[in-house]
Amino acid sequence: MQLKTKLSIIASSLIVASSLAAEDYVSVQFVQYDESDDRASVSTPSIEFSKDFGVDYNLKLGLVADSISGGSPTWFDTTSGASAYSRGEDIHKDDVAYGNVEYDDKRVAGSALFTTRFASRDELAVGLNYSRETDYEARELSAEYLYYLGSSKNQSLSLGLSYQFNNVLVECIENEACDANSGASQTLDVNVVSAEVGFTQILNQNSLAKASIFYSNEDGYLSNPYMNVVRSYNPNSSIVDVVAENKPDTRVSYGATLQYIVALTDQISSNSTYRFYDDDWDIMSHTISSELYYELGRSWILGAGLRYYTQSEAKFYRAGYFGDEMYASSDERMRDFDAWGYKINADYLITNALSVNVGLNFYDQQDTFNATYYNIGLKYSF
Amino acid sequence: MIKGFLLMASVLLLSGCAVKDVQPWEKETLAKDTMKNGAGNALMTKFENHIYFSKEGSKGGGGVAGGGCGCN
Repeated sequence: MQLKTKLSIIASSLIVASSLAAEDYVSVQFVQYDESDDRASVSTPSIEFSKDFGVDYNLKLGLVADSISGGSPTWFDTTSGASAYSRGEDIHKDDVAYGNVEYDDKRVAGSALFTTRFASRDELAVGLNYSRETDYEARELSAEYLYYLGSSKNQSLSLGLSYQFNNVLVECIENEACDANSGASQTLDVNVVSAEVGFTQILNQNSLAKASIFYSNEDGYLSNPYMNVVRSYNPNSSIVDVVAENKPDTRVSYGATLQYIVALTDQISSNSTYRFYDDDWDIMSHTISSELYYELGRSWILGAGLRYYTQSEAKFYRAGYFGDEMYASSDERMRDFDAWGYKINADYLITNALSVNVGLNFYDQQDTFNATYYNIGLKYSF
Repeated sequence: MIKGFLLMASVLLLSGCAVKDVQPWEKETLAKDTMKNGAGNALMTKFENHIYFSKEGSKGGGGVAGGGCGCN
Protein backbone atom coordinates (compact mmCIF):
# COMPACT_ATOMS: atom_id res chain seq x y z
CA MET A 1 0.00 0.00 0.00
CA GLN A 2 2.86 2.31 0.99
CA LEU A 3 4.74 1.41 -2.23
CA LYS A 4 1.60 2.13 -4.24
CA THR A 5 1.31 5.58 -2.65
CA LYS A 6 4.98 6.37 -3.35
CA LEU A 7 4.65 5.27 -6.97
CA SER A 8 1.57 7.42 -7.29
CA ILE A 9 3.44 10.45 -5.94
CA ILE A 10 6.40 9.84 -8.28
CA ALA A 11 4.07 9.48 -11.26
CA SER A 12 2.22 12.66 -10.32
CA SER A 13 5.50 14.51 -9.91
CA LEU A 14 6.65 13.44 -13.36
CA ILE A 15 3.40 14.59 -14.95
CA VAL A 16 3.61 17.95 -13.19
CA ALA A 17 7.32 18.31 -13.92
CA SER A 18 6.68 17.95 -17.63
CA SER A 19 3.88 20.51 -17.53
CA LEU A 20 5.92 22.90 -15.41
CA ALA A 21 9.03 22.66 -17.56
CA ALA A 22 9.57 25.96 -19.32
CA GLU A 23 9.32 25.55 -23.05
CA ASP A 24 11.41 27.17 -25.74
CA TYR A 25 9.30 29.00 -28.26
CA VAL A 26 9.01 31.53 -31.02
CA SER A 27 5.84 33.60 -31.04
CA VAL A 28 4.68 36.07 -33.68
CA GLN A 29 1.72 38.41 -33.43
CA PHE A 30 0.10 40.94 -35.71
CA VAL A 31 -2.26 43.60 -34.35
CA GLN A 32 -4.33 46.07 -36.35
CA TYR A 33 -5.69 48.94 -34.24
CA ASP A 34 -8.17 51.53 -35.60
CA GLU A 35 -9.81 54.43 -33.80
CA SER A 36 -13.10 56.06 -34.72
CA ASP A 37 -13.43 59.53 -36.32
CA ASP A 38 -10.28 59.23 -38.42
CA ARG A 39 -8.04 59.19 -35.39
CA ALA A 40 -5.06 56.85 -35.00
CA SER A 41 -4.50 53.62 -36.94
CA VAL A 42 -1.66 51.37 -35.87
CA SER A 43 -0.29 48.21 -37.53
CA THR A 44 1.96 46.24 -35.23
CA PRO A 45 3.85 43.07 -36.11
CA SER A 46 5.89 41.62 -33.22
CA ILE A 47 8.01 38.57 -32.46
CA GLU A 48 9.23 37.00 -29.24
CA PHE A 49 11.83 34.28 -28.78
CA SER A 50 12.39 32.37 -25.54
CA LYS A 51 15.19 29.88 -24.96
CA ASP A 52 16.25 27.97 -21.84
CA PHE A 53 19.92 27.20 -21.29
CA GLY A 54 19.85 24.21 -18.95
CA VAL A 55 17.54 24.67 -15.99
CA ASP A 56 19.19 27.78 -14.59
CA TYR A 57 19.12 30.31 -17.41
CA ASN A 58 16.56 31.74 -19.79
CA LEU A 59 16.81 34.36 -22.49
CA LYS A 60 13.86 36.22 -24.01
CA LEU A 61 14.24 38.49 -27.01
CA GLY A 62 11.48 40.64 -28.47
CA LEU A 63 11.06 42.93 -31.43
CA VAL A 64 8.07 45.20 -32.20
CA ALA A 65 7.43 47.58 -35.09
CA ASP A 66 4.59 50.11 -35.00
CA SER A 67 3.37 51.94 -38.06
CA ILE A 68 1.15 54.80 -36.88
CA SER A 69 -0.99 57.18 -38.94
CA GLY A 70 -4.12 59.27 -38.57
CA GLY A 71 -5.06 62.29 -36.52
CA SER A 72 -4.66 63.47 -32.95
CA PRO A 73 -6.99 66.13 -31.48
CA THR A 74 -5.58 69.48 -30.35
CA TRP A 75 -6.02 73.24 -30.83
CA PHE A 76 -4.59 74.86 -33.96
CA ASP A 77 -4.57 78.06 -36.02
CA THR A 78 -6.82 77.34 -39.02
CA THR A 79 -5.17 80.01 -41.14
CA SER A 80 -1.92 78.04 -41.19
CA GLY A 81 -3.48 74.60 -41.58
CA ALA A 82 -4.36 71.60 -39.40
CA SER A 83 -0.87 70.95 -38.14
CA ALA A 84 0.43 70.50 -34.62
CA TYR A 85 2.80 73.36 -35.33
CA SER A 86 -0.02 75.68 -36.49
CA ARG A 87 0.67 77.95 -33.56
CA GLY A 88 0.91 81.69 -33.26
CA GLU A 89 0.17 84.79 -31.27
CA ASP A 90 -2.50 87.46 -31.75
CA ILE A 91 -4.90 85.16 -33.60
CA HIS A 92 -8.60 85.94 -33.87
CA LYS A 93 -10.80 83.48 -31.96
CA ASP A 94 -12.70 82.67 -35.15
CA ASP A 95 -9.47 81.36 -36.66
CA VAL A 96 -8.86 78.87 -33.84
CA ALA A 97 -10.24 75.34 -33.95
CA TYR A 98 -10.04 72.12 -31.98
CA GLY A 99 -9.74 69.02 -34.13
CA ASN A 100 -7.54 66.31 -35.52
CA VAL A 101 -4.09 67.24 -36.73
CA GLU A 102 -2.59 64.62 -39.00
CA TYR A 103 0.55 62.72 -38.11
CA ASP A 104 2.35 59.53 -38.94
CA ASP A 105 5.27 57.80 -37.34
CA LYS A 106 7.13 54.52 -37.18
CA ARG A 107 8.42 52.94 -34.02
CA VAL A 108 10.80 50.05 -33.59
CA ALA A 109 11.38 48.56 -30.16
CA GLY A 110 13.63 45.72 -29.03
CA SER A 111 13.86 43.98 -25.68
CA ALA A 112 16.09 41.40 -24.02
CA LEU A 113 15.43 39.71 -20.69
CA PHE A 114 17.96 37.36 -19.13
CA THR A 115 16.84 35.26 -16.15
CA THR A 116 19.13 33.40 -13.77
CA ARG A 117 17.78 30.81 -11.35
CA PHE A 118 19.80 30.12 -8.21
CA ALA A 119 20.12 26.86 -6.23
CA SER A 120 17.21 28.02 -4.04
CA ARG A 121 15.27 28.53 -7.35
CA ASP A 122 15.02 32.24 -6.60
CA GLU A 123 15.26 34.22 -9.82
CA LEU A 124 17.04 37.34 -10.96
CA ALA A 125 15.85 38.81 -14.27
CA VAL A 126 17.79 41.62 -15.93
CA GLY A 127 16.22 43.41 -18.88
CA LEU A 128 17.14 45.91 -21.55
CA ASN A 129 14.59 47.80 -23.65
CA TYR A 130 15.23 50.14 -26.53
CA SER A 131 12.66 52.04 -28.56
CA ARG A 132 13.11 54.51 -31.39
CA GLU A 133 10.69 56.82 -33.21
CA THR A 134 11.30 59.80 -35.44
CA ASP A 135 11.13 62.15 -32.49
CA TYR A 136 11.62 59.92 -29.47
CA GLU A 137 14.27 57.53 -28.22
CA ALA A 138 13.88 55.43 -25.09
CA ARG A 139 16.38 53.24 -23.26
CA GLU A 140 15.54 51.19 -20.21
CA LEU A 141 17.44 48.99 -17.79
CA SER A 142 15.45 46.84 -15.40
CA ALA A 143 16.09 44.19 -12.76
CA GLU A 144 13.65 42.00 -10.85
CA TYR A 145 14.41 39.58 -8.03
CA LEU A 146 11.98 36.79 -7.15
CA TYR A 147 12.42 35.38 -3.66
CA TYR A 148 10.56 32.25 -2.55
CA LEU A 149 9.43 32.14 1.05
CA GLY A 150 9.68 28.56 2.27
CA SER A 151 10.63 25.30 0.61
CA SER A 152 7.17 24.54 -0.80
CA LYS A 153 7.38 27.74 -2.88
CA ASN A 154 3.78 28.66 -2.22
CA GLN A 155 4.69 32.23 -1.33
CA SER A 156 7.05 34.58 -3.08
CA LEU A 157 8.20 38.17 -2.89
CA SER A 158 9.40 40.12 -5.88
CA LEU A 159 11.27 43.39 -6.08
CA GLY A 160 11.62 45.20 -9.40
CA LEU A 161 13.52 48.35 -10.30
CA SER A 162 13.90 50.13 -13.61
CA TYR A 163 15.57 53.22 -14.95
CA GLN A 164 14.48 54.80 -18.21
CA PHE A 165 16.45 57.43 -20.07
CA ASN A 166 14.52 59.03 -22.93
CA ASN A 167 15.20 61.77 -25.47
CA VAL A 168 12.42 63.73 -27.09
CA LEU A 169 12.81 66.01 -30.09
CA VAL A 170 10.77 69.21 -29.68
CA GLU A 171 10.36 72.52 -31.45
CA CYS A 172 12.69 75.02 -29.78
CA ILE A 173 11.67 76.33 -26.40
CA GLU A 174 13.16 79.74 -25.65
CA ASN A 175 16.27 79.19 -23.55
CA GLU A 176 20.02 79.69 -23.68
CA ALA A 177 20.54 76.80 -26.06
CA CYS A 178 17.74 77.43 -28.49
CA ASP A 179 15.98 80.37 -30.12
CA ALA A 180 12.22 79.74 -30.21
CA ASN A 181 11.86 81.92 -33.29
CA SER A 182 14.43 79.99 -35.29
CA GLY A 183 12.08 77.11 -36.20
CA ALA A 184 14.78 74.68 -35.12
CA SER A 185 14.36 71.66 -32.86
CA GLN A 186 16.14 70.61 -29.72
CA THR A 187 16.51 67.35 -27.81
CA LEU A 188 15.24 67.23 -24.25
CA ASP A 189 15.55 64.48 -21.62
CA VAL A 190 12.97 62.44 -19.76
CA ASN A 191 14.19 60.25 -16.89
CA VAL A 192 11.91 57.70 -15.24
CA VAL A 193 12.68 55.62 -12.14
CA SER A 194 10.15 52.89 -11.31
CA ALA A 195 9.92 50.37 -8.49
CA GLU A 196 7.48 47.58 -7.74
CA VAL A 197 7.20 45.16 -4.82
CA GLY A 198 4.94 42.14 -5.19
CA PHE A 199 3.70 39.27 -3.05
CA THR A 200 2.22 36.08 -4.48
CA GLN A 201 0.38 33.48 -2.41
CA ILE A 202 -0.81 30.12 -3.71
CA LEU A 203 -4.10 29.65 -1.89
CA ASN A 204 -4.79 26.05 -2.85
CA GLN A 205 -4.39 23.67 -5.82
CA ASN A 206 -6.71 25.81 -7.93
CA SER A 207 -6.13 29.43 -6.99
CA LEU A 208 -3.56 32.07 -6.23
CA ALA A 209 -3.52 35.75 -5.29
CA LYS A 210 -1.06 38.50 -6.01
CA ALA A 211 -0.66 41.93 -4.46
CA SER A 212 1.81 44.61 -5.41
CA ILE A 213 2.62 48.24 -4.79
CA PHE A 214 4.38 50.41 -7.35
CA TYR A 215 6.07 53.79 -7.51
CA SER A 216 7.33 55.94 -10.35
CA ASN A 217 9.23 59.21 -10.56
CA GLU A 218 9.35 61.00 -13.94
CA ASP A 219 11.58 63.98 -14.48
CA GLY A 220 12.17 66.09 -17.59
CA TYR A 221 10.10 67.23 -20.56
CA LEU A 222 6.75 65.55 -19.81
CA SER A 223 4.64 67.65 -22.18
CA ASN A 224 3.52 66.32 -25.53
CA PRO A 225 5.35 68.30 -28.26
CA TYR A 226 2.28 68.10 -30.54
CA MET A 227 -0.34 69.31 -28.07
CA ASN A 228 -1.42 72.97 -28.06
CA VAL A 229 -3.48 75.17 -25.75
CA VAL A 230 -5.23 78.48 -26.33
CA ARG A 231 -4.31 81.37 -24.03
CA SER A 232 -6.66 84.34 -23.75
CA TYR A 233 -5.13 87.07 -21.61
CA ASN A 234 -8.02 89.50 -21.94
CA PRO A 235 -11.55 88.08 -21.68
CA ASN A 236 -12.94 91.14 -23.46
CA SER A 237 -10.67 90.67 -26.45
CA SER A 238 -11.16 88.41 -29.47
CA ILE A 239 -7.42 87.94 -29.81
CA VAL A 240 -5.79 84.78 -28.43
CA ASP A 241 -2.51 82.86 -28.61
CA VAL A 242 -2.17 79.22 -29.72
CA VAL A 243 0.92 77.86 -27.97
CA ALA A 244 2.45 74.54 -26.95
CA GLU A 245 0.99 72.90 -23.86
CA ASN A 246 3.07 72.99 -20.69
CA LYS A 247 2.87 70.12 -18.21
CA PRO A 248 4.97 70.05 -15.02
CA ASP A 249 8.54 68.75 -15.37
CA THR A 250 8.13 66.17 -12.64
CA ARG A 251 5.53 63.54 -11.85
CA VAL A 252 5.46 61.21 -8.86
CA SER A 253 2.98 58.37 -8.93
CA TYR A 254 2.22 55.33 -6.85
CA GLY A 255 -0.40 52.62 -6.71
CA ALA A 256 -1.32 49.08 -5.87
CA THR A 257 -2.71 46.05 -7.64
CA LEU A 258 -4.61 43.05 -6.38
CA GLN A 259 -5.09 39.97 -8.53
CA TYR A 260 -7.01 36.74 -7.97
CA ILE A 261 -6.70 33.80 -10.37
CA VAL A 262 -8.84 30.73 -9.89
CA ALA A 263 -9.69 27.54 -11.78
CA LEU A 264 -13.45 27.34 -11.26
CA THR A 265 -13.67 23.89 -12.85
CA ASP A 266 -11.25 21.67 -14.80
CA GLN A 267 -12.10 23.68 -17.93
CA ILE A 268 -12.93 27.19 -16.69
CA SER A 269 -10.65 29.70 -15.04
CA SER A 270 -10.94 33.39 -14.22
CA ASN A 271 -8.38 36.14 -13.70
CA SER A 272 -9.55 39.30 -11.89
CA THR A 273 -7.46 42.39 -11.22
CA TYR A 274 -7.97 45.69 -9.45
CA ARG A 275 -5.49 48.57 -9.77
CA PHE A 276 -5.40 51.78 -7.78
CA TYR A 277 -3.28 54.71 -9.02
CA ASP A 278 -2.57 58.21 -7.70
CA ASP A 279 -0.12 60.95 -8.68
CA ASP A 280 0.85 64.52 -7.85
CA TRP A 281 -0.86 65.82 -11.01
CA ASP A 282 -4.12 64.99 -9.15
CA ILE A 283 -4.93 62.06 -11.39
CA MET A 284 -6.40 59.20 -9.43
CA SER A 285 -7.60 56.12 -11.27
CA HIS A 286 -9.26 52.78 -10.63
CA THR A 287 -9.10 49.84 -13.01
CA ILE A 288 -11.06 46.63 -12.69
CA SER A 289 -10.60 43.85 -15.20
CA SER A 290 -11.70 40.27 -15.44
CA GLU A 291 -10.94 37.51 -17.93
CA LEU A 292 -12.59 34.16 -18.29
CA TYR A 293 -11.04 31.17 -20.10
CA TYR A 294 -12.68 27.97 -21.22
CA GLU A 295 -10.71 24.92 -22.37
CA LEU A 296 -12.71 23.12 -25.03
CA GLY A 297 -11.31 19.65 -25.55
CA ARG A 298 -7.54 19.37 -25.85
CA SER A 299 -7.11 21.88 -28.65
CA TRP A 300 -9.15 25.00 -27.92
CA ILE A 301 -8.93 27.77 -25.35
CA LEU A 302 -11.71 30.35 -25.64
CA GLY A 303 -11.45 33.61 -23.74
CA ALA A 304 -13.49 36.70 -22.95
CA GLY A 305 -12.50 39.80 -21.02
CA LEU A 306 -14.04 42.94 -19.58
CA ARG A 307 -12.21 46.04 -18.32
CA TYR A 308 -13.47 49.20 -16.63
CA TYR A 309 -11.29 52.27 -16.08
CA THR A 310 -12.05 55.61 -14.45
CA GLN A 311 -9.80 58.58 -13.69
CA SER A 312 -9.99 62.05 -12.21
CA GLU A 313 -8.81 65.25 -13.91
CA ALA A 314 -5.26 66.61 -13.78
CA LYS A 315 -5.00 69.92 -11.93
CA PHE A 316 -3.74 71.77 -15.02
CA TYR A 317 -6.30 70.41 -17.52
CA ARG A 318 -8.91 72.55 -19.21
CA ALA A 319 -10.90 71.85 -22.34
CA GLY A 320 -11.33 75.56 -23.03
CA TYR A 321 -9.06 78.61 -22.95
CA PHE A 322 -6.33 79.31 -20.41
CA GLY A 323 -5.06 82.63 -19.07
CA ASP A 324 -1.47 83.04 -17.93
CA GLU A 325 -1.32 79.89 -15.78
CA MET A 326 2.14 78.34 -15.81
CA TYR A 327 0.89 74.80 -16.42
CA ALA A 328 -1.74 74.29 -19.08
CA SER A 329 -2.90 71.29 -21.07
CA SER A 330 -5.97 70.40 -23.12
CA ASP A 331 -4.69 66.85 -23.61
CA GLU A 332 -7.81 64.67 -23.45
CA ARG A 333 -5.92 62.04 -21.47
CA MET A 334 -5.68 64.53 -18.60
CA ARG A 335 -9.47 64.98 -18.23
CA ASP A 336 -11.77 62.89 -16.05
CA PHE A 337 -13.38 60.04 -17.94
CA ASP A 338 -14.54 56.44 -17.84
CA ALA A 339 -13.54 53.77 -20.36
CA TRP A 340 -14.72 50.25 -21.07
CA GLY A 341 -12.82 47.48 -22.80
CA TYR A 342 -14.19 44.21 -24.17
CA LYS A 343 -12.38 41.30 -25.78
CA ILE A 344 -12.87 37.79 -27.06
CA ASN A 345 -10.14 35.45 -28.21
CA ALA A 346 -9.45 31.88 -29.23
CA ASP A 347 -6.33 29.78 -29.15
CA TYR A 348 -6.17 26.59 -31.22
CA LEU A 349 -3.51 23.91 -30.83
CA ILE A 350 -2.80 22.70 -34.38
CA THR A 351 -0.13 20.22 -33.31
CA ASN A 352 1.67 19.69 -30.01
CA ALA A 353 4.24 22.26 -31.12
CA LEU A 354 2.18 24.78 -33.05
CA SER A 355 -0.77 26.93 -32.01
CA VAL A 356 -2.65 29.82 -33.58
CA ASN A 357 -4.53 32.58 -31.78
CA VAL A 358 -7.01 35.22 -32.88
CA GLY A 359 -8.69 37.99 -30.91
CA LEU A 360 -11.15 40.83 -31.35
CA ASN A 361 -11.09 43.80 -28.97
CA PHE A 362 -13.18 46.92 -28.48
CA TYR A 363 -12.19 49.95 -26.38
CA ASP A 364 -14.64 52.77 -25.67
CA GLN A 365 -13.50 55.99 -24.02
CA GLN A 366 -16.41 58.10 -22.82
CA ASP A 367 -17.38 61.05 -25.08
CA THR A 368 -14.23 61.02 -27.20
CA PHE A 369 -13.44 57.94 -29.25
CA ASN A 370 -13.61 54.20 -29.50
CA ALA A 371 -11.16 51.75 -30.98
CA THR A 372 -11.43 48.32 -32.53
CA TYR A 373 -8.42 46.10 -32.79
CA TYR A 374 -7.85 42.52 -33.79
CA ASN A 375 -4.88 40.25 -33.39
CA ILE A 376 -3.69 37.06 -35.03
CA GLY A 377 -0.64 35.11 -33.98
CA LEU A 378 1.32 31.87 -34.11
CA LYS A 379 3.38 30.17 -31.44
CA TYR A 380 5.88 27.42 -32.20
CA SER A 381 7.29 25.50 -29.23
CA PHE A 382 10.41 23.37 -29.44
CA MET B 1 -12.75 54.85 -3.47
CA ILE B 2 -9.91 54.31 -1.01
CA LYS B 3 -12.36 52.48 1.21
CA GLY B 4 -13.06 50.14 -1.69
CA PHE B 5 -9.38 49.43 -2.10
CA LEU B 6 -8.94 48.74 1.61
CA LEU B 7 -11.96 46.44 1.51
CA MET B 8 -10.49 44.44 -1.37
CA ALA B 9 -7.11 44.28 0.35
CA SER B 10 -8.79 43.03 3.51
CA VAL B 11 -10.64 40.33 1.58
CA LEU B 12 -7.37 39.21 0.03
CA LEU B 13 -5.59 39.14 3.39
CA LEU B 14 -8.46 37.28 5.03
CA SER B 15 -8.39 34.74 2.24
CA GLY B 16 -4.94 33.88 3.65
CA CYS B 17 -6.82 32.18 6.47
CA ALA B 18 -7.93 29.56 3.94
CA VAL B 19 -4.46 28.96 2.53
CA LYS B 20 -3.55 25.34 1.95
CA ASP B 21 0.03 24.08 1.81
CA VAL B 22 0.17 22.90 -1.79
CA GLN B 23 2.80 20.32 -2.71
CA PRO B 24 4.81 20.55 -5.94
CA TRP B 25 2.96 17.61 -7.53
CA GLU B 26 -0.36 19.34 -6.83
CA LYS B 27 0.42 22.38 -8.99
CA GLU B 28 -0.60 21.06 -12.40
CA THR B 29 -3.67 23.29 -12.63
CA LEU B 30 -1.71 26.33 -11.41
CA ALA B 31 0.86 25.76 -14.18
CA LYS B 32 -1.69 25.98 -17.00
CA ASP B 33 -1.50 28.83 -19.50
CA THR B 34 -5.06 29.78 -18.57
CA MET B 35 -3.80 30.64 -15.06
CA LYS B 36 -1.39 33.22 -16.46
CA ASN B 37 -1.98 36.82 -17.53
CA GLY B 38 -3.51 36.90 -21.02
CA ALA B 39 -3.52 33.08 -21.01
CA GLY B 40 0.22 33.19 -21.67
CA ASN B 41 0.05 35.47 -24.72
CA ALA B 42 2.77 37.86 -23.55
CA LEU B 43 2.96 39.78 -26.82
CA MET B 44 -0.73 40.67 -26.74
CA THR B 45 -0.61 41.58 -23.05
CA LYS B 46 2.28 43.93 -23.81
CA PHE B 47 0.36 45.50 -26.70
CA GLU B 48 -2.75 46.06 -24.57
CA ASN B 49 -0.71 47.73 -21.83
CA HIS B 50 0.82 49.94 -24.52
CA ILE B 51 -2.65 51.05 -25.65
CA TYR B 52 -3.79 51.87 -22.13
CA PHE B 53 -0.55 53.72 -21.40
CA SER B 54 -0.86 55.85 -24.53
CA LYS B 55 -4.61 56.59 -24.22
CA GLU B 56 -5.08 57.07 -20.48
CA GLY B 57 -3.59 59.30 -17.82
CA SER B 58 -2.16 56.62 -15.55
CA LYS B 59 0.17 53.66 -15.81
CA GLY B 60 2.09 51.10 -13.78
CA GLY B 61 1.38 47.96 -11.82
CA GLY B 62 2.23 45.49 -14.57
CA GLY B 63 5.91 45.02 -13.75
CA VAL B 64 8.81 47.42 -14.04
CA ALA B 65 10.14 46.36 -17.46
CA GLY B 66 7.85 48.02 -19.96
CA GLY B 67 10.09 50.06 -22.21
CA GLY B 68 9.32 53.63 -23.23
CA CYS B 69 7.66 55.40 -26.10
CA GLY B 70 6.84 58.91 -27.22
CA CYS B 71 3.13 58.36 -26.67
CA ASN B 72 2.85 60.20 -23.37
